[in-house]
Amino acid sequence: MSRRYLALHLPWLAIDRRRRRNPALRDRPVAIWHQAGSRRVLQMVDAPALAPGQALADAQAICPELMLFEATPREEAAFLEQLALWCLRFTPQVAVDGTEGLLLEATGATALFGGEAGFLAAITASLRNSGLRLCAAMAGSAAAAAALARADGMDRIVPPGQELAAIAPLPVTALRLQSEILIGLRRLGLRRIGDVLRQPRAPLARRFGSALIDPLQAVTGPGALPFHSIRPPAAFLAARDCLEPILTRPAIEHVLDALLGELCQALSAAGRGARRLTLRAFRVDRAVQEVVIGTGVASRDPAHLRRLFAERLDRLAPELGFERLTLEANATDPLEGLQTMLGGPGAVEGPSPVPLLAELLDRLGQRMAVHRLALLDSHWPEYAAVPADPFAPVAAPSPGEILPPRPVRLLAEPVALFPIFAVPNGPPVQLRQGRECHRVLRCIGPERLEPEWWGEDAERPARDYYRVQTVEGPRLWVCRLLEPGSEPRWFLHGYLA
Amino acid sequence: MPVSPSPLQDLRARIARIERGLTGTPWPAVSLSPFIDRHLPEGGLARGALHEVLAADPGAGLAFCASILGRLTGPVLWIAPAADAVWPPGLQALGLCASRLILAQYRQPAEGLWALEEALRSPALQGAVLQIPHFDLTAARRLQLATEATGSLGLLLRPPTAARGPSNALTRWRVAARPEPRAQPAWQLDLLRCRGGQPGSWVVVGPELAAPP
Repeated sequence: MSRRYLALHLPWLAIDRRRRRNPALRDRPVAIWHQAGSRRVLQMVDAPALAPGQALADAQAICPELMLFEATPREEAAFLEQLALWCLRFTPQVAVDGTEGLLLEATGATALFGGEAGFLAAITASLRNSGLRLCAAMAGSAAAAAALARADGMDRIVPPGQELAAIAPLPVTALRLQSEILIGLRRLGLRRIGDVLRQPRAPLARRFGSALIDPLQAVTGPGALPFHSIRPPAAFLAARDCLEPILTRPAIEHVLDALLGELCQALSAAGRGARRLTLRAFRVDRAVQEVVIGTGVASRDPAHLRRLFAERLDRLAPELGFERLTLEANATDPLEGLQTMLGGPGAVEGPSPVPLLAELLDRLGQRMAVHRLALLDSHWPEYAAVPADPFAPVAAPSPGEILPPRPVRLLAEPVALFPIFAVPNGPPVQLRQGRECHRVLRCIGPERLEPEWWGEDAERPARDYYRVQTVEGPRLWVCRLLEPGSEPRWFLHGYLA
Repeated sequence: MPVSPSPLQDLRARIARIERGLTGTPWPAVSLSPFIDRHLPEGGLARGALHEVLAADPGAGLAFCASILGRLTGPVLWIAPAADAVWPPGLQALGLCASRLILAQYRQPAEGLWALEEALRSPALQGAVLQIPHFDLTAARRLQLATEATGSLGLLLRPPTAARGPSNALTRWRVAARPEPRAQPAWQLDLLRCRGGQPGSWVVVGPELAAPP
């Protein structure tokens, strides 16, 4: 089956976006300007007798009632991405094409809309109803469709195999070439794509380089350009269209329940469990909102997944209502089916504790950092325990091992201590910590720790650790840092039991 | 029902349970130490309840909570506002193995309370600790209900300044480190409040909370 692509060209995107937001602009001339060096020039104009590239002051003199807005490329790009997400309801493969175009892979999706004409009409009508002016074209390659959409303001569908004939009469500007190449082609008298295609390739390549040859190749050649889908299509997807836009939390939860049931059934049939799920809500004003949850271990239990979503659903802003909700599993892992217990009188009911723990950690993980600490075989305190995945068990040290006394809390940022000595080179009698003062009853040590010579920080100074029993009661783990060439510095590194 | 040394002890435990409004099979209390257990109405630290620990100094509070959690089985959750709240190499000697410990770090106090409630409601854990300075009675009541639903043990580790406020925890302990010449664990343990029991005070040494020699 040959591939089919639909290209949408929205030349008035920046102006239409502002008019949608502010209906007072509907019947007034509007222009978008941008700063070019020291001049302010018009970038996009929807007014009689004005053209892009004109100076801002000239335009205001010609058309005093002109509404002017500064160009905001970032907002335009975000809006285009929103539109691309919106188009995911028509086909699972949508890409953003440049600053004012979208590409939809229509292969196999058109039958749902009564053929290609119906598919094209459904999309264009939907976008035009929301106040966007656009031009659409469908062809067998993405580049050809994009060129056709940019040619003239006509929607068109090119049957498979007739792309060359269709693009030959188009002006070369439809190829989105650089301006110097366009000027060069005009000097040669080549105004239409067909004229360029009739020329031998080698001299063209020598004169214009790949900047001309690559677009030409893409339009005519069989090789398809890579298609950068805005969201990679998910293997598992469930979707619901609502007859009426839904606004309330119970309504959204009801739809979510139906979606979860459907998706979990599909996952169960495939023997897989979801690791990441995306709920996508399509609002009536063409805005799309996403809620993503993740699980630590693969799951296809609707009740568990619903509880994970319950924390996140507050972030949806329905405003005028959602008309479509989709739920997709973006990442899945194999999940073996578990045999249910044969219900004898002595049979133990309920799931085993390991999934229960994973469910709890999933819920906690939605709102806070959850981790375990794995013990490493290192004597250097900072490396002795490292954060680890909470879902995987960490190894326990062998029970018979004699461990040196270690603090119950190791400070991530050691606190500087200032010792007072009774005799030189003796143990400290007082340790001052800011305004606080610890009187030393007993100082046990030192326990000399040398840095690991095989590690990265072999150059670090060695440390002497003391277990300090204070007169007040607390036991401190105190470090004396032995820096060569300077007085040793003292730090409070932890609290002992 | 724990095996009690005397019928009187047995009766006291039953009365304590009736006073707490609990029905059904009792959960065995967590034994701290023989001479402390004798003092407590349920013959040990009651499961299905909240207990407050006021730490006069950081090391003692952490160590006392860790040694209580060490007496439970299975994984336990430690909820704290800091990432460096506890260090497993030191907890090993208190009976809490690194393989059983899961840490959660909260940013807002409400999140911490929510996490503790979720943990206490889950049958996957036998106990959890929350390090939190302040909370209101409503939150504590919710936690209490959560513990009663599953029989898990909830510990609230708080700074000593929290001693004055009301609380619906079953017991309130104050733990302070005592000077010990060999720098071994030794604590002054005060039972400030105990529903259905009397306050008490002990000096204990070592993670097994034994009486000093």
